Amino acid sequence: MMKPVPLTEAQEGLWYAQRFDPENPIFNTSQYVEIWGTLDVAAFEQAVNAAMQKARALSIRVEDLPDGPQLFFDPALTAQLRITDLRHANDPEHEAQSLMQRDAMTALDPTRDALAAQHLYQVGEEKFFWYQRVHHLVIDGYGTSLLTRRICDLYTSSVTGAVHQTSPFGSFDSVLQEDAEYRQSEKRQKDQEFWQKEFADKPEIPLLNKGLAYTSHTFIREERSFSREFGQRLQSLASEYFLTWPDILTALSAAYLKRHTGGTESILGIPTMNRFGSASAQVPSMIMNVLPVRFPVDESLSLQDFLISAAKKLKSARRHGRYRSEQLRRDLGLLGEHRRLHGPLINILPFEELPQLGNAETKMHIQGTGAVDDLTFNLRAGAQGDELYLSLDANPELFSVEDVKDHADRFVHFLEAAIQSASLKAVSTLTPEEHQHWVYEVNQTAHPVERTTLVELMLRQVRNSPDAEALRFNGKSLTYAQFEQESRKLAQKLKAYGVKKGDVVAIALPRSFELLISVFAIQRLGAAYLPLDPDHPADRISVIIDSAQPACILTFQSLKQSFPEDRSLIVLDHESFHSMEEVALTPSDEPGPDDAAYIIYTSGSTGVPKGVVIEHHSIVNRLEWMRTFYNFQPDDRILQKTPVTFDVSVWELFLPFLTGCSLVIAPPEAHKDPAWLARIIREEKVTTTHFVPSMLGIFLADPASQGLRMRRVFASGEELTATIRDRFHQVMKSELHNLYGPTEAAVDVTYWPASSIDESSPVPIGFPVWNTSMHILDEYLRPVPPSVNGDLYIGGVQLAREYLGRPDLTAERFIPNPFGAGRIYKTGDVAWYRRDGAIVYSGRSDFQIKIRGLRVELGEIEAAILSFGSFEGVAVIAREDRPGDQRIVAYLVPDQNAGPPDLVQLRSHVSTRVTDYMIPSAFIVMDEFPLNSSGKLDRKSLPKPELEAIQVGRPPETETEKKVAGLFAEALGLEKSFTISAEDDFFSLGGHSLLAARLMIRAREVFGHELGIGVLFTHPTVARFAAHLDQLSEQSDEFSHMDRQGLGVIIPLLLAESSSLPPVFMIHPAGGISWCYAGLARELSPRRSVYGVQARGLDLDQPLPETMDIMAADYVDQILKVQPEGPYHLMGWSVGGIIAQAMAVRLEQSGHSVQTLAMLDSYPCDYWRDEPDPDESTALKALLFIAGLDTENIPQPLTREIVVTELRKSSHPLANLSDDALSGVVRVVIQNNRLVRRHHHQRFSGRLIHFHAALDHQGTTLAPEMWLPYVGAVTIVEIPAVHAHMVSPQNTKLVARYLNHSLS
Amino acid sequence: MSSRNSEETPSLTLEVMRADIAAILHEDPSEIGDNDSLIDLGLDSIRAMSLLQRWRDMGMNVEFAAFAVKPELKYWWQLVSGAAASDVSLPE
Repeated sequence: MMKPVPLTEAQEGLWYAQRFDPENPIFNTSQYVEIWGTLDVAAFEQAVNAAMQKARALSIRVEDLPDGPQLFFDPALTAQLRITDLRHANDPEHEAQSLMQRDAMTALDPTRDALAAQHLYQVGEEKFFWYQRVHHLVIDGYGTSLLTRRICDLYTSSVTGAVHQTSPFGSFDSVLQEDAEYRQSEKRQKDQEFWQKEFADKPEIPLLNKGLAYTSHTFIREERSFSREFGQRLQSLASEYFLTWPDILTALSAAYLKRHTGGTESILGIPTMNRFGSASAQVPSMIMNVLPVRFPVDESLSLQDFLISAAKKLKSARRHGRYRSEQLRRDLGLLGEHRRLHGPLINILPFEELPQLGNAETKMHIQGTGAVDDLTFNLRAGAQGDELYLSLDANPELFSVEDVKDHADRFVHFLEAAIQSASLKAVSTLTPEEHQHWVYEVNQTAHPVERTTLVELMLRQVRNSPDAEALRFNGKSLTYAQFEQESRKLAQKLKAYGVKKGDVVAIALPRSFELLISVFAIQRLGAAYLPLDPDHPADRISVIIDSAQPACILTFQSLKQSFPEDRSLIVLDHESFHSMEEVALTPSDEPGPDDAAYIIYTSGSTGVPKGVVIEHHSIVNRLEWMRTFYNFQPDDRILQKTPVTFDVSVWELFLPFLTGCSLVIAPPEAHKDPAWLARIIREEKVTTTHFVPSMLGIFLADPASQGLRMRRVFASGEELTATIRDRFHQVMKSELHNLYGPTEAAVDVTYWPASSIDESSPVPIGFPVWNTSMHILDEYLRPVPPSVNGDLYIGGVQLAREYLGRPDLTAERFIPNPFGAGRIYKTGDVAWYRRDGAIVYSGRSDFQIKIRGLRVELGEIEAAILSFGSFEGVAVIAREDRPGDQRIVAYLVPDQNAGPPDLVQLRSHVSTRVTDYMIPSAFIVMDEFPLNSSGKLDRKSLPKPELEAIQVGRPPETETEKKVAGLFAEALGLEKSFTISAEDDFFSLGGHSLLAARLMIRAREVFGHELGIGVLFTHPTVARFAAHLDQLSEQSDEFSHMDRQGLGVIIPLLLAESSSLPPVFMIHPAGGISWCYAGLARELSPRRSVYGVQARGLDLDQPLPETMDIMAADYVDQILKVQPEGPYHLMGWSVGGIIAQAMAVRLEQSGHSVQTLAMLDSYPCDYWRDEPDPDESTALKALLFIAGLDTENIPQPLTREIVVTELRKSSHPLANLSDDALSGVVRVVIQNNRLVRRHHHQRFSGRLIHFHAALDHQGTTLAPEMWLPYVGAVTIVEIPAVHAHMVSPQNTKLVARYLNHSLS
Repeated sequence: MSSRNSEETPSLTLEVMRADIAAILHEDPSEIGDNDSLIDLGLDSIRAMSLLQRWRDMGMNVEFAAFAVKPELKYWWQLVSGAAASDVSLPE
């Protein structure tokens, strides 16, 4: 045994990685050589043993000593060749394979096990498998190659007498010495500076799969070979450009990855041998490093320039290659195992080929080379210079087998194409097979549809069923024949007025018979209708009218004042209308299929609305598809409730006339009132309706929608979430269909059945409709692979003709179809293909967004603000600070000379220029804007607005609810104008325990009941809290006194009745109360019930537990009552973590399964064991510390009275406790301090998730690893916080993010 | 990859090695001193391997590990000439 030495920097990373996950075998590196022919087994054994004897770095053991892990050389651990004769086994090769597999999949304990193994399996008379396995802690790829070559060389020279081709190993001491020198060197400092500067802008790492990178225990592997031409071209490019072939491969890999991640750069992990110019070049040991190299990928460069720029990046990275990337991660504050520094690994293996092994023939099989966190592209050159092999390894937690196969094929194809091209721009991302599939096969939508018009189809229906009911409105109805007559009459008047084919006629009418009659009358003359909303600002209306130049405007008297006097208004309910002249219609008045049917204006990015012109044949295609595909029948009833300025209304208006069914017209304004809508649907027996998803959410939240039955509901206009789909099927009985399409493509172009068995999340927008093609392309119009975001384009018959009067905009958005005839339209939406061909929407590519289904150009709002006055800067963004709750916020930097703007005036100014849904919900004045490194506005850093408008829900109804809502608003400091709905949860609105305490005081004053804060946890919404209060007034005291105060042993922090997931139990910290977890309970997703476990000693009548084990046993009994069967999830902060561990032990001993044991910064009792019991004053001081109070100015020694006074003075929530309860807290703190010193931990065999307060404990030896003797494994999650702030709202979010993953 | 028939390939000399190193570093051969650290001149392991591949094709027989320990031209030439000498003693 020799003197111990500290681990090298290179070893430390692997030591900790293995230590945190002791059962993980992924750190075993292994390979085997297949041998055919004669092998002198004795000579081979001698060669192996001689080489292992000299490879001292492999014969070590690690001990975890107080001043860090240390290496011990232990000759007893030196591997000797083990020889196993399998010739008599049933299937010798298979047997050998499974033995090797078993060994490779057995995790090693570096404190105990031999880290290297050498096996020889004889599997035939002249066939052997030579297997080597070494823990990555002591070897790397280069070291393995060195070892293998040396053994081959020793053997060959002993059996053939040949001269040695290899040198003896260098000494491991020289490696240790170099490592020690480097740690102290100026070079290391310079290297550190280089890397810190390289990552100073903290880039977002472009990843192929954004899941958390947990190191899996296994990996998926796909192997491919490149063509010989590729190898030759690689060699010739290398000599032509004075580059090396590995650098060219790396550069092309960076380009490949950028095709999948978008953006402007790839950040790759580049394994580097780190031995050049070092004694370690001759030492089998662990030296390599993974360098995070940033490659800008500019496809407009020539291939040569791109390759040279990438090679330069590699060169400078290698110069600083000794600096450990684990260290850099710490420098950058990327704490925790799942925070990444780079994307996939590009591992190029230029090591020399396996040399001769005597006279035998050999083939090398590399099995594991260490952890695969994401993807690892291993590229290996063959014996001949032009052979190149890919072995692609993937983390199965992040990639499916199909994904990996596709990547392997695509990667080889991409590199082979790229190396032949003058520039990357011309290289397709997809293989030819993929191109065929994703461009053509997914778009096989050809379907015969008659080339006709809406007018022709309607007239046909009139002939078919003249007496059928066409329209219903407010209890009245019109038959098809009557409807035809009315529309003919109006058309004849319009004809006399001068309206003719090709004209535009505006309509500004509320929902009514007249609206439908007008639309048809206009079309019968071959004109297009243009809907106007009189509620829109006058400016917008006049811009539209100026642009479209309608022949006339049809309206009602009551709306007439919305339009300038000089306009040609036809007022349908004015007597002058009846005296208008009429001219009979002739067949030549009727439109043809290519004539415009309607024009709808949408928001424009320049701030000017754009008029989309849709032709008859386009909308006929859309309607015929819908009628057939969803099997509409004459007995259907369709509800018309969408405003006609929104293109979704188009199918509502016309589909009945293709089907012969009736249209139920909802009264104006009814579409905003869920209860009213539900009543219409029930009373009018509506079978089909449409909702924008956010309105659907509101509708489903209304009790009136419960149990509704329809045939089909269509959702479109914005993203349909899985939550709304699922709620829909809980509430209603109906089909639900998700449709997608912009105004520019005749309403909808894709469909997805969001049925009750659909489990997709996100819900796709689905597949193209008839005669329509969808394309997802990158910025060079190249199709992107599945799962990769790209710009969504639409082709086919439904495309609009143009933007009226804007050939420039039309040419910009409607471009020639690169894959066939016609044009494609750039939607501005970003989407990706699922493997099954369904399209998933993932957002807008520009700053255009949708609010409640309506398209909003943020530029239009910015322009409106700028027209108010002078600003240095204006930025308008859409924020989603609460999921699903998107709102517009305006940020302003006032002009220094002008002074701060009057926000009230600004708001009213903006409201005259944009529609109501575009008015920002908050205006925030700033001194300056946050900028990013390139000097551009950093939108992500714009501050969140103070709490104000929150989601719309059912308004408070009863007197109590209204009062409670008022108290909520008051406690939360919300403005009076702000509406809190009955379902709003106090804590979700931003309430925390301090605010809760304030609320309870006021509630006591208002309602006269004695209310503990606990009531709010069990009844957190306005409705439930109010219901509880009402109940209190009626009922006698049903609960115990302690429960009422929220001080019972088990307290529900969140009850998710609809969730079937096992609950989480959160154990109290030292003070015995668990209210601090209320915020965390609400951050868990999916929702599940959460119970706090609280100290019995809070009740002065109860005895204090004598040991921590007794306490834990009691708590286990209590939680078994709540949840009799596992799996159990336990969590605790501080002392709570210690108790949770003891509970986990007890549950495990009684045969229950504990799935989660999590601690918020708890440490084993050993640390305090030798400290004396605290006196009362010290314990009280600790209590004040826990409460966040400064103890310096408080007279000492502390007494209970002083502490109670101080707590009350600070209005801390604890101060609202009764005197008895507060005394209870004090005795619990004191007792817990005592119990910690006496407690001895037993071992829990499962994993511990330790949330480590990374900003605390400097200068102490407290470390999460201290739990290792008492748990099976420790996963450490770094939280950038001090101990006392672990449950602050911000840190709660970080904790929840990780906890959610481990709970699932 | 073993040595090929060396009749047609130029034989490896100190000056050939100097010229090859200079080319891969985009330098003039006169800039490559016998005892200069090739790392300081900008040579890295990947470029070194590519040089070794080239020299192996010319009949040299030295492993990378030996070169990598001390990247200096004079030392490399000693390795190459020493190995060449032992190459001769290989049994036919």
